[in-house]
Amino acid sequence: MRKEPALFNINGRTYEVLVEANLTLLDLLRDRLGLTGTKQGCSASGNCGACTVLLDGRPTLSCLTLAWAARDAEILTIEGLATPEGLHPLQKAFLERGAVQCGFCTPGMILSAKALLDENPDPTEEEVRAGLAGNLCRCTGYVKIVEAVMAAAKTMRSGAGEPC
Amino acid sequence: MHRTLRPFDLLEPDSVSEAVRLLGAHEGGAHVLAGGVDLIAKMRRWQLAPECLVSIRRIPGLDRLILNGAGELEIGPLVTLRELERSTLVREGWPVLYEAVHQIGSVQVKTMGTAVGNLCVATPASDVAVALYVLDARLTLTGPERERVLPIEEFFIPVATSVLGADEIVTGVTVPPLAAGTGAAFQKLAHTKACIAKVNVATLVSLEGGLCTKVRIALGAVGPTFIRARLAETALTGRAPSPELVAEAAEAATRESEPQSDLRATAGYRQRMVGVLVGRALAESVASARVGR
Repeated sequence: MRKEPALFNINGRTYEVLVEANLTLLDLLRDRLGLTGTKQGCSASGNCGACTVLLDGRPTLSCLTLAWAARDAEILTIEGLATPEGLHPLQKAFLERGAVQCGFCTPGMILSAKALLDENPDPTEEEVRAGLAGNLCRCTGYVKIVEAVMAAAKTMRSGAGEPC
Repeated sequence: MHRTLRPFDLLEPDSVSEAVRLLGAHEGGAHVLAGGVDLIAKMRRWQLAPECLVSIRRIPGLDRLILNGAGELEIGPLVTLRELERSTLVREGWPVLYEAVHQIGSVQVKTMGTAVGNLCVATPASDVAVALYVLDARLTLTGPERERVLPIEEFFIPVATSVLGADEIVTGVTVPPLAAGTGAAFQKLAHTKACIAKVNVATLVSLEGGLCTKVRIALGAVGPTFIRARLAETALTGRAPSPELVAEAAEAATRESEPQSDLRATAGYRQRMVGVLVGRALAESVASARVGR
């Protein structure tokens, strides 16, 4: 099968990769680029949300996305969220509120939450739950996760801990 | 199980005419790629291994979500479920379509998946399709030689498939506006909010002078394709809606459903729930028709 060089903009950095048509974005990130923060959960059927990344700010299942189709997008994975100054307010809130147990759903959960807060900086608890409906967690029971997102939203609205 | 996608050629035409030509050239060996939610999942499970994918994502104009000159909603084949959900136009003009989309759980699936793709999958449990049924939506199918416009009822055929040709693309869905004094409602029963419907139902009622002048009742997941409950519609048409008459129509709809048992529900349970959901949806439709919408 033909491989073609493509440029990918991931976490603000440009990667040139030879990709074949049948490579998924998930496999590009994990297997070709070593960005293993993006998880494969549900055997790639679009049910669990663990492989969520942001394409131009939109929460996207990387397991069901062809890598080739993502070459024009700005891709954000969990590795690109923190800055040299520190963790993103969502990451801090997840740690402080105990919203992480096994951690497997956390990258997708945090990226879905980021997409939600970028669109709606002051969500109700119900809106947070709806925004995270595509991400399954088998440990926390979601209560701490929702609390963490609400807390991060408050922090971000106040401007404190805003990433540079 | 996680599997590598079987190798295929990825083609990215920049016009509909080129896309349908490519589809025709592969004689059924090619699939259209839009949002990819259903297609790529099936390819990962090796349920599908097309020799070629024809992506329509680079074709300009297919992402249109507009009101045309006749006041109808036009939905292009690249309009995502999320775009429908967030559209004020849809929410205000076609609230039943908004409801059907809004209750779909996963933001990611709504962000990636297109409304037209959802129809093309042709599962008889599609929430979007039952809503479009009662709205009398039309689909435009474009092939190499001709374009044809079909009422949504003629698009779906048993079992769980459609009349879309291997060299055709659904290039748009057109949804007429709701007449004054019309109300419509969507009802769904599922295991959890994230699950596929055990039963879904949409209804539409137009009232004039206190009488039902137009009634639409569509049933999903209770037959080899969607079912218009015509006997139930007839029971209401021309009469003043009352709780007794709504119950009578709901009972008729129950008899018109042809459910099977599967892992989601038994046939008997589905059939009884058709009556419950149709009853609720009709009551809601009548109530909103009385306030104008």
